[in-house]
Amino acid sequence: MSNPALTFLVRLLRRRRPVRRDPTPVPLDSATQASSTIFLVLRRMRAPLITLIVIFSVSVVGLTLIPGVDPDGNVARLSIFDSFYFMSYTATTIGFGELPWPFTAGQRLWVTFTIYLSVIGWAYAIGSLLTLLQDRSFRQALALQRFTRKVARLREPFLLMAGYGRAGELLATSFDALGQQLVVIDTSSDRVDALELGSYRADIPGLVADAANPHHLSAAGLGHPYCSGVLALTNDDEANLAVTMAAALLRPGLPVVARTVSATVADRMRAFGTPAVVNPFDRFGEHLRLALKAPASYQLLTWLEAGPGAELPDRGRPPTQGRWVVCGYGRFGREVAVDLSAAGLEVVVIEQVDRPDNLPGTVLGDASDADVLARAGLGGAVGLVAGTDNDTTNLSMLATARRINPELFLAARQNRPTSRALFEAMQVAALLVPTEVVAHEVYAQVSTPMLWRFLQAMPAEGDAWAAELLGRLRQSCGRRLPALWKIRLDRVQAPGLDRWLTDGRVTLGDLRRSPEDRARQLQVVPLLLLRAGEAVLAPADSTVLAPDDELLLAGPGSERRELESTMVVEATAAYVLFDRHEPSSWVWRALSRKVGDGPVPRSRRSG
Amino acid sequence: MNLEKVIFGFFVLLAATLNFGFFIGDIANRDVHNIYELFAALAVSLIATVLKFGDRTQIGAVHLATSLVADLQLVAASVVWVWAEEISAHGLTVEFTASVVSLSGGALLANLVSVVLLVIETVTFHRG
Repeated sequence: MSNPALTFLVRLLRRRRPVRRDPTPVPLDSATQASSTIFLVLRRMRAPLITLIVIFSVSVVGLTLIPGVDPDGNVARLSIFDSFYFMSYTATTIGFGELPWPFTAGQRLWVTFTIYLSVIGWAYAIGSLLTLLQDRSFRQALALQRFTRKVARLREPFLLMAGYGRAGELLATSFDALGQQLVVIDTSSDRVDALELGSYRADIPGLVADAANPHHLSAAGLGHPYCSGVLALTNDDEANLAVTMAAALLRPGLPVVARTVSATVADRMRAFGTPAVVNPFDRFGEHLRLALKAPASYQLLTWLEAGPGAELPDRGRPPTQGRWVVCGYGRFGREVAVDLSAAGLEVVVIEQVDRPDNLPGTVLGDASDADVLARAGLGGAVGLVAGTDNDTTNLSMLATARRINPELFLAARQNRPTSRALFEAMQVAALLVPTEVVAHEVYAQVSTPMLWRFLQAMPAEGDAWAAELLGRLRQSCGRRLPALWKIRLDRVQAPGLDRWLTDGRVTLGDLRRSPEDRARQLQVVPLLLLRAGEAVLAPADSTVLAPDDELLLAGPGSERRELESTMVVEATAAYVLFDRHEPSSWVWRALSRKVGDGPVPRSRRSG
Repeated sequence: MNLEKVIFGFFVLLAATLNFGFFIGDIANRDVHNIYELFAALAVSLIATVLKFGDRTQIGAVHLATSLVADLQLVAASVVWVWAEEISAHGLTVEFTASVVSLSGGALLANLVSVVLLVIETVTFHRG
């Protein structure tokens, strides 16, 4: 290529090629899946349509061949057009009755024959079409097509939720309250029906399909540019692993939260990227340990995890000295026993099956049997954990244990959502509902990364600190958890503060003053301050804010709007921060700037 | 031997041959063009079109397109014929005959493409 102009041109054209950022694009065959519906219709309609064409052709040709008679008595055959016209209105049962002249007996014979023939043809064609519309696979194809189209049209960040069980439902409610869009896949059509019946503000697309199939995931928007995360929440560990794998391989870097109750599956999940794995048993053990060590921290943690509108949970006081009896040494029992032992408590395990990996000193037997409980030394114990995977067994254990030792601290695992009322009536001090633990955990991790950061760092601050923060939250927001939201003090979100932020003249306490009356503090509690990757928990009012600081705040929506007006309107900010009344219109500001930088009298404030 | 392929090939070829039969002869002479042949060509072409429904391959799509073109041309030819015979005051004149036959000639071209595609499909088909 010696011509420099040509070389330049070629380079220019080459550069125009679209640059693909994603090295492994998601194989999106949802488009072909969608168009397959129409192919299915066409393919099934082949035979009826051909039958119709043949019947029509035979009838039309036959009618033209049979001689008729015109009023003058001459032989007159119908033309092809006339007989096609006649057959059209006869075969479709419209029966116009318009003829050039009356038929002869021969023509009538043929027409009688063709009428029955065409009725059969139409019945066949229409019957096939109706059968097709009723067909299960066709309806599924149609549903998939509608779902795919709905997902493709989403123009806001959404989370892909695989599995809409109890945990999914709780999460969907929390996320819907936050205005977060979701897309749901579940294998059970009952659950997807429940999703459609659920009273959500947003229209949540739901598909009945196996989430372990990557095609279904891509139909649900795994490759969609607005997909902001994947939640694998099915009851099946294998399916969750498959979803985690698909997400990690097809969309590397996409946040994934996966649920599992097995430590091995959790390890296998972690082999693919960095998914956040939620193990409800593991988490319950950690919570129990926190509850033993720092009841107030535990109370704050559960309250914040429960999502907006949640009632303040009671502060339990689990006994920190003495012997605990753990009934059931399955996956859950193991986690709890390890965590209790780690907290320095004496643990006695009751297990029905004599397994080689039971703890030494395990009492064998049915834990709902009073004798077995007595052998485990329940009389001198302080706490009991009913942790089998059977709700009836757990309840009868609790009842027996309470009869023997009414002072016991009772913890239990609830397996089925329907048993909720029973456990509530039993007044268990600490109840594990695996699905709820999963829902709260995922909510905390996904709703805002700052909340997760806060919850991770919070236990280190100690119990007294948590109690003090709880007091402040209760004082400003009442017994129901207010909305948590974050602000970023940059030019986009806080243009009104920009010039004072750079000077370092904004303190958190001043920012929290009300724009209506700066003597009043807004009922907003700052939970976390994030500055250049460093987190400050519950920053004090004297904290000096800097540009690009991020804050996680808790408070009602009305207070949030007031704070936002301070952040956006410079005149409001001037009043709130420095008690200065600046004109808010451009003309007055230009005039007053000429007069001087001094404060403007209140009378000239233009609202 | 695949019966479906036999039927498919039969109709595609029959559509082309009937079309050719109607088209051949002096373009302006109505005596050498039989209206029943045109009707048969149209009917068979419609059947061939329906047989091509639901094929998701690339060559299937082109097949369907050629058939639709042939249908369109033949329907147009039939409409012109009906117009000349039944509506026009002068009957089937030389001009009308010529336009009917030339329209069917266009359909013939589409049908030939269809046949060529059929042959290509057959040649490129490898068993196993």
